[in-house]
Amino acid sequence: METLYNAPMITVRLPQKKKELELPGPRRVMDLLSDAGVRPTTVIVTQGRKLLTKDHRVEDGATIDVISVVSGG
Amino acid sequence: MKCKRCRRAEAAVELPSHHSAFCPDCFFVFFRRQVTEGIRKLRLLAPADRVLVCVSGGKDSLVLWDVLIDEGYETEGLYIDLGIDGYSDRSKEKVLAYAASRGKTPIVVELAKEGIPIPEAARCARMQECSICGTVKRYFFNRVAAEGKFTVVATGHNLDDETARLLGNLLHWQRGHLARQHPLLPGADGGLVRKVKPLWRVSEVETAAYGFLKGIDYVTEECPMSEDATSLVYKEALSRIEDRMPGTRIVFYQGFLDPSNPLRKGAEAAAPGDAVPTPEDAPTGDSPRATEADAEEGVGSPRACASCGAPTYTETCSFCRLKERVRKARSLRAAGGSR
Repeated sequence: METLYNAPMITVRLPQKKKELELPGPRRVMDLLSDAGVRPTTVIVTQGRKLLTKDHRVEDGATIDVISVVSGG
Repeated sequence: MKCKRCRRAEAAVELPSHHSAFCPDCFFVFFRRQVTEGIRKLRLLAPADRVLVCVSGGKDSLVLWDVLIDEGYETEGLYIDLGIDGYSDRSKEKVLAYAASRGKTPIVVELAKEGIPIPEAARCARMQECSICGTVKRYFFNRVAAEGKFTVVATGHNLDDETARLLGNLLHWQRGHLARQHPLLPGADGGLVRKVKPLWRVSEVETAAYGFLKGIDYVTEECPMSEDATSLVYKEALSRIEDRMPGTRIVFYQGFLDPSNPLRKGAEAAAPGDAVPTPEDAPTGDSPRATEADAEEGVGSPRACASCGAPTYTETCSFCRLKERVRKARSLRAAGGSR
């Protein structure tokens, strides 16, 4: 159990929702989005200056940003 | 996943609706081709046009400005400061920063200085913020364009915006609005400047991806006034359909724009292949094709507003009527407060 709690996680930031999640990795972007309750076609996912495809595998310890693209009005 | 165009680099953008995936460089080529094809097909812009690009600080309008500059159009940006606490300042900052990066200085209209900041005007007039915002923006888009001798006004409406609007118009059988909905709204004598939506073929995901990959720093927060916008409901419905059936959105919209579509009867549509007015021969009020202002005010040839001289289909334009309503509400308040 100790190993699990100390294991590095993936940080998923959702700036527009002012939310940040810690999820276990390594996992594909589409799985992380599913866990975060986000529909993949409504966002772009970035890691630093890189844009990630939905099948991209994210490693433990990484931080990704989930940016909503839907504008209203 | 490899880029399906160059087949060498790693893909950064997947587009199920195009059965494709692109690396950044190939995506730039794809995206710009989509926009230029959209312009060409509907003859939205001519090389000699002076384009007033309406920029909000959001991804779509800044991306539109970026593409039009790169494509060699003569452009200026217009930013309307809506007077929304915090949000307007942050949006303006993005616009100014982007403009500076391209050696431009945008035209800025401050609604607070014009006496009609959106939140306060909505409270006074007891109207929805989005409704007031639409009226005020349309007024200044046209006024600034006419005064600045621009030949065309360009806005960043994308495929998702246009299909959401189409769905809303269909669900409520807004036949008049359906006949007029189009990426090209011709100008008319009397100072009504042509309006175009060059991003009509690209989705929100595509503009966001383009903006991010190009390093355009846009405002990602939503306008706090638009949280309950009905367009978001239509967008979500269409997005769910698109999830299951990629490509449905563009088929839906292109089918709608087809000149043989009976829903567009009565509109002299600038559809693929049709002649579209150039700035020099923009249709006059005789044209059976209506303009965006008609949606509110009428059809035919505009006349000058009795109060401000702007083109309108009624005695006084909707902007002046709104200002008057706000002025009266303020006077009543002041009178109430002084008792």
